[in-house]
Amino acid sequence: MGYLRQQGLGQGLVALGGLLMLVNLYLVFLVAPTDAVLGDVQRVFYFHVPLAVLSFLAFFFVFIASLGFLARRTPAWDHLAHAAGEVGVVLVTLALLTGVIWARPVWGVWWTWEPRLTTTLILWLIYVAYLMVRAYAPNPARGAVYAAVVGVVGFVDVPIVYYSVQWWRSIHPSPVVGPLAEAGALEPVMLAILLFSLLTFLVLFLHLLLLRASLHRVEAWVKEQDPRGSPAPFPAN
Amino acid sequence: MLITLLQAQTPPANLSYLFAAFVVSWLVFFAYTFFIARRQRDLERRMRELSQPRQSPDSGPAR
Repeated sequence: MGYLRQQGLGQGLVALGGLLMLVNLYLVFLVAPTDAVLGDVQRVFYFHVPLAVLSFLAFFFVFIASLGFLARRTPAWDHLAHAAGEVGVVLVTLALLTGVIWARPVWGVWWTWEPRLTTTLILWLIYVAYLMVRAYAPNPARGAVYAAVVGVVGFVDVPIVYYSVQWWRSIHPSPVVGPLAEAGALEPVMLAILLFSLLTFLVLFLHLLLLRASLHRVEAWVKEQDPRGSPAPFPAN
Repeated sequence: MLITLLQAQTPPANLSYLFAAFVVSWLVFFAYTFFIARRQRDLERRMRELSQPRQSPDSGPAR
């Protein structure tokens, strides 16, 4: 019953996300004003910023769920942490890729070792390591504990990435959302479209997170039932 | 002279970079969606196999 309810919720999120994405594309390409200095390439911003912000949210979920798992050892926390870690890696990969492509025409280089880019690359490496710890641990139960520790410790890099533009000399623009955002840093129309884009990606993120967490749950159940498969991460008591 | 000044004030469009950023984003997104869909299909197949009664006598009673 719970699975069916979750499937219904997932389909609802896909439909809503698809609809919002169509409106978002219309707003980004046809309504948003062209940046006076950067030109049309600045429209990458409406994808790049939400992807980066939501990757932080995903790693926050990993942090909370890992703490929950270490405290309670409940599989549901582990499934949520694993799903959030995986979706977070996809999001931060996309944030890095869109940033690199945007940097080339604006800064004249694909990559530069400035603080924001370097700390973001470190963030990407931490969470790729998080997924690798799970994949290569001697057994799934131990892998879940190791990954939870990496998920808690690794989250330290998220505020470092956010505040890097303030703490060190950086050529990366200052944040436009969150506590460091200055009032009036963006045109009101641009800010409204950015927030709409953030909402659109949030819906897609929640759908992917719920889908991945439910698949991890089913996968654990199948491993538990299947005598040929690898051992279940959390043997039934 | 006037043309030169107008050109200097117009920001470069750089549409190829804009196009590349969106293509890469959608490619990665669809690749991940494809990976999830394949995982889901494999799990459904394994669940169907598990739901069938086991033939081997040493495998114990089917659940």
